[in-house]
Amino acid sequence: MSEGIDKQILDSYLTALFDTDKAGALRVVQEALDGGLTPEQVVFEVIIPGMERMIGGMISDNLVTLSQHFLASQIAEEVTDRLIPLFATVPEVQGHVVIGTSHGDFHGLGKKIVIGCLKARMFQVTDLGINVAPEKFVDQALEVGAEVIGISSMMVHTATGERGPKRVRQLLREQGLEDRLRIIVGGAPYRFHENLFREVGADAWGDTAAEVPGIVARLVREVRS
Amino acid sequence: MMTGMERFGALMSGGTPDRVPIVCNLLDQGARELGLSILEYYSRGEHVAEGQLRMREKYGYDTLTGMFYSALEAEVMGCRNIIYADDGPPNVGHLVINAPRDIKRLHVPDDLNEHPRFRELTTCIGLLKKEAQGRFPVLGVVTASFSLPAMLMGVGPWMELFLNGDPALRDELLETCSLFCSRQIAALREAGADLIVYVDPLASATFIQLKKFRELALPWIIRDLEAHGPAGVIFFNGGGRINPILADIREHAGIGAYYLNPYDDITEARALLGSNSLIAGTINDIRLIDWSPDEIEREVEKIMLAGKRAGGFIFGTLLMPCGIPEENIRALVAAAIRHGHHAESVVCR
Ligand code: B12
Repeated sequence: MSEGIDKQILDSYLTALFDTDKAGALRVVQEALDGGLTPEQVVFEVIIPGMERMIGGMISDNLVTLSQHFLASQIAEEVTDRLIPLFATVPEVQGHVVIGTSHGDFHGLGKKIVIGCLKARMFQVTDLGINVAPEKFVDQALEVGAEVIGISSMMVHTATGERGPKRVRQLLREQGLEDRLRIIVGGAPYRFHENLFREVGADAWGDTAAEVPGIVARLVREVRS
Repeated sequence: MMTGMERFGALMSGGTPDRVPIVCNLLDQGARELGLSILEYYSRGEHVAEGQLRMREKYGYDTLTGMFYSALEAEVMGCRNIIYADDGPPNVGHLVINAPRDIKRLHVPDDLNEHPRFRELTTCIGLLKKEAQGRFPVLGVVTASFSLPAMLMGVGPWMELFLNGDPALRDELLETCSLFCSRQIAALREAGADLIVYVDPLASATFIQLKKFRELALPWIIRDLEAHGPAGVIFFNGGGRINPILADIREHAGIGAYYLNPYDDITEARALLGSNSLIAGTINDIRLIDWSPDEIEREVEKIMLAGKRAGGFIFGTLLMPCGIPEENIRALVAAAIRHGHHAESVVCR
C-alpha cells in the first residue's frame, strides 16, 4: 500500500474522529481492511496515530474535547480487540496495568477511556471497576503481576481522601513494593492542579487519556530496569 | 458601603458598584459549620439555610447559594440511591435510565415540591430570601437539559446517545429534561431565588466541538429558557471552558451574564460578548487547597485586573472543595475585597 493512500486513510479517519462520527470512523477502518491494509497496519498506522493526534490538539489551536477522547478510545478498543487475533505474530505486551476508580468514586468514564488507549498500545489492562478499595489495587496488582496501578478520580475528596491514592502509596511502602509498582493517577481534579498527583503520592499523572500510554511506558521501563 | 444586592443591581443596570461583587460557592462546608454530618445537613432545608447564612457572615462575600448538590435533580427524576461522603458532595448512586424504555418512562412532576427533598431545597431558598432581607442575592442553581442526562444515565451512555445514537430517543430525553429544567427554574424563582445559575458543562468546549454545540446543545439552551426568559439567568461553565460558545449563546439565547472557567481568558470573553453582558471570572479553586495566602493574593489580583479592565465584572469560584483550609477562604475574600475596589471609589476615599 502506497504512502499516499495511507495518508488519505488516516486523514479520513481523523476527520471522522474530529466530527465524533463513529459510523464514519468504523467505515474508514473497514475500507482500509477491504483495500488490503493488514490488521497491523490498521492498528499502528491508523488507530494509534488517530489517538495520538489528540495530544496537543487534533487540528492546531483546537481544544480536543472529551467527546473526541471518548470516541477515539472506544473505537481503538473495539478495533484492536477485533484485529489483534488476526495479527501475523502475537504482539509483544508493553506492560500490565491494573486500573480502577478511587474509593467512594463511582465515575468510571475516565478510566474506560484510558483503558481503550492503553489496549490499543498493546498494554494488558485489568479493570478493577469503580469504588475500589486501596488494598484491592495492591492485591490485584500483585496477583496479575502488573507494573503500574492506575487510579481515576472525578472529585477532589476522592482524589485526596485517606482511602484513595495516598493509602495505596502507604500500602506499597509498608509492603516494600515501591520498586515493583508505580502509581499513575488521573481525572478531573488533577487537570485543575498539575501538582496534585504528588500530594496524593502518585508517581505520575495523565492530563488526557491519549497521553497515558506514553507515560505508562516510561513507568514500566522504570520498574523493569 | 453597598450591599451585595446593590452591587449586583448596579452592575445589572450598567453602573459600577463600589467594588467587584464576590461569589463564593461554598456548599458542603456548611455541614462543618453546624457540626453535622453531610447526610444530616442536607436532610433539612433549615440546616442548609443556616449553613449558608453563617458562612456568608463569616467570610463576607456577596451572595447566598441556594443549592444542595447536583444529584438532587436526579432524585426528583427518580434516582433512588445517593452516595454520601464525609468530606465531599453527595453523588448519584443509581442511574434512572438503563435502557431506552426508561427514557419513555421518565416523569416530571407537575409540582416539583411534591418531592420531599426538593421541598427542603425550596424551603431553604425561602429562608435565605427572608433572612437576606434584600441585602444579598440568593442564587438558585439548575442543570441544563443538555447536561442533566449525564446524571440520569451516566456521561458515557449520554455522549454515545447524543453523538451517535437514535436522534428521536435523544430528543425525547431532552424534551423531558427541558421540561424539568424550566419547571425547576420557575419553582426556584417562586421560592425566592433572585438569580438563576444555569449549569451546562456538557455543552462546553471541554466536551463537544463548536459545530456539535450549535447543532445539539444550543437549541436546548434556548428551549430551557423559553418560558422564563433570559433575564436574571447566569450561564455557568460547570467546570468546562465556555469562551468558544459565548457569542452564540449571547446572540441566540440572549443570556446577559456568563460565569467563566478559570481557563477561559477574561479579556477574550469580553471581546466575544461585547459590552452589554456581565462576566464572572473564576479562580481555580482546586488550587486554593494548597496555595499560600500570598499566592492567592497574586492570583486574585491578576483576575481582578483583567476583570476591571473588561468591566461588568463579578469575581467567583467554581464549586469549592472541602479540602480548602478556612484561612485560605478568608485570604481569598480579603484579597478579592482589596483588589476589587474600582479606581473611582479608591480615589473618592
Ligand atoms: C460534566 C461535569 C458534570 C456533569 C456530569 C457529571 C457526572 N459524571 O455525573 C454534572 C453537571 C451533572 C456535574 C455534576 C457534579 N459535578 Co461536575 N463536572 C463535570 C466536568 C465538566 C467534566 C466531568 C466529566 O464527566 N468528565 C469526563 C471524563 C471522561 O473526563 P475525566 O474524568 O477528566 O477523564 C479524562 C482525563 O482526566 C483522563 N483520566 C481520567 N481518569 C484517569 C485515570 C488515569 C490513571 C489517568 C492517567 C488519566 C485519567 O483521561 C480522560 C480522558 O481524557 C468536570 C470539570 C472538568 N473540566 O473536568 C466537573 C467536575 C468534575 N465536577 C465537580 C463537582 C464538584 C460536581 C458535583 C459533585 C457538584 C455537586 N456539589 O453536586 C456534581 C456531582 C454529580 C453526580 N454525579 O452526582 C468538580 C469536582 C472537583 C471538586 N470540587 O471536588 C469538577 C472538577 C468541576 C470543578 N472544577 O469544580 N458535573
